[in-house]
Amino acid sequence: MATVLDPAGAPAADERRPDRRSRSTAPGGRRRHVPPLLAISPFYVLFAVFGVFPVVFSLYLSFQDWDGIGDMRFVGLQQYGWLLQDSVFWHSVLNTFEIWFLSTVPMLFLALVLAFLLHSQVRFTGAYRVAYFIPNVTSMVAMTIVFGSVFAQSGLANSALRAIGLDGIGWLSSEWGIKSSVSIMIIWRWVGYNALIFLAGLQAIPTEHFEAARVDGANSWQTLFRVVVPQLRPVILFAAVTSTINGLQIFTESQVLFQSTDVGTTGGPGQEGMTIVLYLWQKAFKEHQFGYGAAMGWLLFAIIAVFTIINWRLVSGSDRDDRRPGLAGLLRRKGARNGR
Amino acid sequence: MEHRTLSRRRLLGVSLGGVGGALLGLSGCGASSGSASAGTDHLSLWYWKGSLSDKLLATARRGVPGRPGLKVRGSQIPDSDIDSKVRTSLAARAYVPDITVANSDNLATFFPDENEFLDLRELGAEKVRDRYLDWKWKSCFTPSGRMIGFPLDAGPTALYYRRDLFRQAGLAYEPKDVAEAAPTWEKFIAAGKTLRAKAPGRPYLVSNIGNVFQQILLQSTRQFVDADNRFIGDQQHVRRAWDLSVEILRQGLSARITDGTPDYNSAMSGSRVATMTTAVWAIYGLKDSAPKTSGAWRLTTLPDGPGNYGGSYMTLTRYCRDPEAGFAFLTWLLSPENQLKSYQEMALFPTTPASYADPAMHTPDPFFGGQQPIDVFGPAAEKAPVVYFSPYEESANIPFFQELTNVEMLGKNPERAWRDAVNTAATTLSRLGVS
Repeated sequence: MATVLDPAGAPAADERRPDRRSRSTAPGGRRRHVPPLLAISPFYVLFAVFGVFPVVFSLYLSFQDWDGIGDMRFVGLQQYGWLLQDSVFWHSVLNTFEIWFLSTVPMLFLALVLAFLLHSQVRFTGAYRVAYFIPNVTSMVAMTIVFGSVFAQSGLANSALRAIGLDGIGWLSSEWGIKSSVSIMIIWRWVGYNALIFLAGLQAIPTEHFEAARVDGANSWQTLFRVVVPQLRPVILFAAVTSTINGLQIFTESQVLFQSTDVGTTGGPGQEGMTIVLYLWQKAFKEHQFGYGAAMGWLLFAIIAVFTIINWRLVSGSDRDDRRPGLAGLLRRKGARNGR
Repeated sequence: MEHRTLSRRRLLGVSLGGVGGALLGLSGCGASSGSASAGTDHLSLWYWKGSLSDKLLATARRGVPGRPGLKVRGSQIPDSDIDSKVRTSLAARAYVPDITVANSDNLATFFPDENEFLDLRELGAEKVRDRYLDWKWKSCFTPSGRMIGFPLDAGPTALYYRRDLFRQAGLAYEPKDVAEAAPTWEKFIAAGKTLRAKAPGRPYLVSNIGNVFQQILLQSTRQFVDADNRFIGDQQHVRRAWDLSVEILRQGLSARITDGTPDYNSAMSGSRVATMTTAVWAIYGLKDSAPKTSGAWRLTTLPDGPGNYGGSYMTLTRYCRDPEAGFAFLTWLLSPENQLKSYQEMALFPTTPASYADPAMHTPDPFFGGQQPIDVFGPAAEKAPVVYFSPYEESANIPFFQELTNVEMLGKNPERAWRDAVNTAATTLSRLGVS
């Protein structure tokens, strides 16, 4: 931008023009650009077909009423109007945030504690790291089926509660039972992953800081909260941002847990397990209201964007120093990894 | 370093392969025929595991008997995906199968796009009409009168009940007597009260009230949306199903557990639930989840008479390369003889009444104490009412099932739940152009 506006940039551009012409007539000419362009083209072609096109098309679709085969009917912004009046949609937004809060806060805390323990001198650290990462790569559907029987009325969770003299909980049949079950599954899945991220951050902290803390007589908790947490802040904020993005897209846990032939996948009793993405999927792919689903997708995008901006503001507001590029770099890498 | 170069080169190769594949896919979109089997010597068929006989499909792959040169190759698509896959290929007008299987509740969702499927009457379907169940045949038609489906299997319903528990409670316990003692849902509920009070272990009458609600609805010719695209879910036929279901709950006769969950399996094998109101295909799930109760179960007519729950259709898409051959395949695969084979091999209940009389269907089942299931399901299949399903049935009925679950599991006030269900369904449907 600056070079275009800069008057000094204009002559530079003029100079380049004849230069470019001569280059195209030079030996090899433009053809020499072909191999490298061809080499990088697969990504752009695939991205255009599977990335850009669906995104643009879904925006177009969100203004249409379409069952997937027949003609589209233009309904315009009315689609969004319907969505904003849809009480189930708002219920699913609320559910998503409740589940996100119930899962993310304990998860990040547990991950931090685990990372701290891993960082201290324990044996078989490698084995622990593998063990913590396994839930993250296990099939979510298989995992959900296992959790389904753990949280059954006569399942392991209630047996354990009864063994210590408590009453069983309706894990899959009461409002907070449902939300807790889904949250526990999310914690199970992501705690190890975040612990490894924290561990990487921990290892970047100079050992002198730990030694100084020990010399000053700090115990483990004091070391964790006074030394580790302040220095890990950028990493913690990174984990918080990515957990927010993931948390707003909760889907599989609820979908598998509450699948029923008669009721469809409506998120269990009281629809307490209905999340935004699950509702989107139900409307688009089960009831064939693709325009409605697309509109919901864009509303979800807006919600995630708002939250990411809030997160970002928090980060840049508190870290005006050198930490900021580090976090931005981390976010970029994470984004590329997820393909988002 | 060496390793890295290698993997990078491989990566490049793989991505270039991907581009090639994508381009090929794009060029495929322009293919004039659109059939998935274009350029091959066979017709393509999409089905999900268990919906068709594997043995008959193996035969058809080599050649359909009596039709020289006709080969049909089936591709198994997961049953949760097949509907969206068919939709996607129809929308793209490419790689559409010549023949597909559609579930009972899915066929109607294709009504607004009926022209995507061939009208089977134009291929001579009327000639074989008398072989098939009347209500099933009629359900193959769209409101405008096109026949887009062909009868595959049926799902006649019955009352499954625990003979031992009925007997211990002092109730009528032989199939004929139970049918006589509980000819209506009201009498069924009364029997349930006795059962809960007197049978050992105080068993529940039903696992949940959603099943009962479903069965009462299926006994009605009208569902939630009528053929003129009007919402009728707030009317008496639905309200009656609702009230009877709520009454079962109010009397404490529902175990309040969701079918297919670990809790359900343990309740069934632990004799906590004494009846099931469901279709013929549930036999296999029951045998699976409660093998210990073998011999204790019996089958009889459902209170207020049988209905049909589930069952499938076969369709020919408009991209079918050879409609005549496709139709010849349907009439061969779904002929009475082959439906009988499919029943024996895959438990697909025939839509051809002629099969019911065959001795092969009259094998005593030890799980039902030697009773022959066909004695109940055969007449049930012939008596099922002609029901009209609209394309918007699912959008309309989900709020009702959902609110019924809320009443059952969360103790929501039934009156409020009913109002919420009607309002949600009406709002959703008005968006879809149903008045």
